[in-house]
Amino acid sequence: MDEILQIKDLTKSYRDFKLDRVSFSIPKGSIMGLIGENGAGKSTTINAILGLIKKDKGTVRFWGKELDSSKQIKENIGVVFDGINFYETLTPEKVGKICAAAYKQWDSSTYQKFLERFSLSKGKEIKTLSKGMKMKLSIAAALSHRPKLLILDEATSGLDPVMRADILEIFAEFVREGGHSILMSSHITTDLEKVADYITFIHRGKVLFCKRKSELCRDYGMIRCESDLFEKFDRADILAYRREGNQWNILVGDKEMAKNKYKNVVVDTITIEDMLLMYVKGDKPNEEPYIKGFV
Amino acid sequence: MKSLILKDLYNIGHNAKSMLLILLVFAVGLIMSSGVESYIISAGVLCSMMIVTTFTFDDNCKWSKYALIMPVCKKDIVKAKFIVLVIFCTVGVCVGTIFGVSGGLVMRKLVMSMESIVTMLFMAFVGLIVSVIFGSMSIPLVYKFGAEKGRMLLLVSFVVPLAICFIVYEILMLFGVEITDQLVFAILCASPLIALIWVYIMYRISCSIFSKQEVIG
Repeated sequence: MDEILQIKDLTKSYRDFKLDRVSFSIPKGSIMGLIGENGAGKSTTINAILGLIKKDKGTVRFWGKELDSSKQIKENIGVVFDGINFYETLTPEKVGKICAAAYKQWDSSTYQKFLERFSLSKGKEIKTLSKGMKMKLSIAAALSHRPKLLILDEATSGLDPVMRADILEIFAEFVREGGHSILMSSHITTDLEKVADYITFIHRGKVLFCKRKSELCRDYGMIRCESDLFEKFDRADILAYRREGNQWNILVGDKEMAKNKYKNVVVDTITIEDMLLMYVKGDKPNEEPYIKGFV
Repeated sequence: MKSLILKDLYNIGHNAKSMLLILLVFAVGLIMSSGVESYIISAGVLCSMMIVTTFTFDDNCKWSKYALIMPVCKKDIVKAKFIVLVIFCTVGVCVGTIFGVSGGLVMRKLVMSMESIVTMLFMAFVGLIVSVIFGSMSIPLVYKFGAEKGRMLLLVSFVVPLAICFIVYEILMLFGVEITDQLVFAILCASPLIALIWVYIMYRISCSIFSKQEVIG
């Protein structure tokens, strides 16, 4: 089984929001970045994947099995949410004891090594730790039961760049160990640009695309032009556009095609953040947007 | 499930000193006014209330969400809460008995004899049953209304069992059943079974409420 996690047609409806037929899968040994604006449905997707909310439709399979079919599956999943989930008067030592009692696979020596590496004092109460240190403690707890899949929901949000770099390095190390994968939701797209192998973009509860990051960087591009040139553009070539003063920013899904078809334009390489902004803030040529690679 | 129990004991451990102080203050007030027996039962009931505090701690750090990603199910989480409740009640009546007997001797409300020792042990047993019955009512209330509202509704968990007792008493009276010492003794002998059935009903209600809830915070 090459896919650690398979999500198919995951649907969940609320009164004012719908997670609509979300589908993607995470291959073994890769990092999947889940991007989208606040309220796009990233956390709802993760909550539904983990069975914290009841899905209306769809299937979620870890190593080919449903999550509630076996407790062993949970042994193999490490999760880090956006804050620490242990009460503030606990210490890293007590957190270790609680986790050791929960997981059969718990490795006290690995936990100990993480505490030392993160300079976390065993007897210090959680309330005295900084946000970054709390996050490191969460990561230490999540990695010490030897999971094969790590699920991170905005785990790097609110951390300074140095702390984020440290944490990203740990994730990269985790994936280098054979067969491990990560599903990482974040609105800090620069983090995902550094480490992700695949990007799934969720917008208003729907998956806009799920692609290899290298393909995105290779295929997608941004054209900046003035109104007269913008009018000449074939709408089918445009994924999204945005006007900034006299300048039009156009997102295209096939950089090479755009270069060949529109000789006088410069097609710039695009960052994931630019892409996110264009999809979220920009206009679409049609109401139902034509999107290359639509899943 | 051991991890869930351990977590609650560690969390509440921080409040242990405050609880001991409260029990001491109560000892001074209650032993003088109502006697050692009332104090022992009150100590058990006071400690049973700490179960609601554990829910407040859980809410503060979104523990339930985290617990469910561990290899446990919702039923395990509920079961652990009832086990923790029994631990709190046991500790409560044990500490209550020690403080009560000591206080009773100091305040000359108790004379050391075999009979009084047996009475105090019997009261500790009654205290355990009463506090478990009261405390187990608060668990489904907290699952239904949350820790904050549940705390306010604690009164309900005292009123409902008392109301049931009162209704049973009235029915017995209606049918002309006389409350004799023998009947009281029989009820007391059956009380562990009554408590077990009560706790099981409360457990099932809690499981039913919690299973329908979505744990996102």
